[in-house]
Amino acid sequence: MRCPTCLLHIRGGYAELSDHIYNMLGKTDSNHIMWINRYVTRSRTSKKELEGLVKRVFETGDLKEWIIQKFIGKFFSKSPHQFLVKMQKPDRWTLLGYAYEHHHFLKQWVKSCSLIIINTDFEEIHHYEIDNIISEWHGEKGRFPAHHELLLKMGQSYGASLDDIYRTEPLEPTLHAIQTWDHICRNFSFVEGMAAMHSLELIANRKMKEYGASIGYFDPVILRDGSVTRETVDFLREGYEADVSHSEVALALIAKYSSMLNLQQEVQAVFFKSIEEFDNYLNARIERGAILENKQH
Amino acid sequence: MKTNNTEGCGLCNATWGEYWREIDGDNMYFCCNICADIFETMVKKVKEITGWKKIDYVELVGNYSSGRECEARNGEDAFRYYFRTYSNGKFITFEKR
Ligand SMILES: [Zn+2]
Ligand SMILES: [Zn+2]
Repeated sequence: MRCPTCLLHIRGGYAELSDHIYNMLGKTDSNHIMWINRYVTRSRTSKKELEGLVKRVFETGDLKEWIIQKFIGKFFSKSPHQFLVKMQKPDRWTLLGYAYEHHHFLKQWVKSCSLIIINTDFEEIHHYEIDNIISEWHGEKGRFPAHHELLLKMGQSYGASLDDIYRTEPLEPTLHAIQTWDHICRNFSFVEGMAAMHSLELIANRKMKEYGASIGYFDPVILRDGSVTRETVDFLREGYEADVSHSEVALALIAKYSSMLNLQQEVQAVFFKSIEEFDNYLNARIERGAILENKQH
Repeated sequence: MKTNNTEGCGLCNATWGEYWREIDGDNMYFCCNICADIFETMVKKVKEITGWKKIDYVELVGNYSSGRECEARNGEDAFRYYFRTYSNGKFITFEKR
């Protein structure tokens, strides 16, 4: 077992996990309280009752479906993440904030994928991660550009210089998230690393609405109505198409290997941690946009 | 200072945890130090903008994800605003409504 908040490894089962959480709640630990409030219950319960509730949050017969539904609950619910709200009709500042912070995200991404490779001998995983690195970071000369290159071009199309994107340090929430993902991918099992990273690709999966999302990553009309630059269309369309296969293939691999290695609860705990960091990171994109806008005035 | 969150935490109404902090001379209950930090900063911002010496009551509607639409009252006066923070309590947005 692993704690979904502090990632502590816990010997035993749900009774022990719930014990640990209950103790931390008793100590008024803000992170554990936040997790309980957001994902379990906002009302104080008995220790025994909490054990049942915690167990219910993790129990599932289908890990892939569980991840998708929890992800929708977090980002695509009736009160969706504010970055998604902004992305429906994104302005220059939202897209610039996206470019500056996501550059750092992708720099970590390629390292995370590499750490996942290092942590396993399963060739199926090696192939998946290499394919992902090529599309996100490297591209293929003469055939297709990397997602990272398209991101930089989007930033440039709104007036950012490459130099400035490279010289601008990530905001604190971006840095914190990057360090958390690095830690997980470096020190935990490869399948937990995969869950931390590849579940996040669901954000741009265009099938999310079919799975129950209240909105999409962006309103597809912006791909044709001329409201954003051509470079933005190239960037968003690439992700829109690529991430469908990325995220869903990855979820199938995560389900397969977590069951084989008996790491399902650990994968779920790491997923919870990762989406909290991602939430803050998406907010950092908004904050970066606001900083750039204020500099302008 | 009173809020519409009568069951639990002055900011989020959750009933876990137990964290007390003096806000404007009143000992207020929060679920954790982060909710207390957010509430304290919020009160400071409202007073800065309005010039009020005290706040009697705050109505908060919303959640951490969508942000909170609020109304602060001081006697007959009311001030409406919206804010949203990171999960560590740092403010992302605070605006007059
Ligand atoms: Zn813990
Ligand atoms: Zn609270």
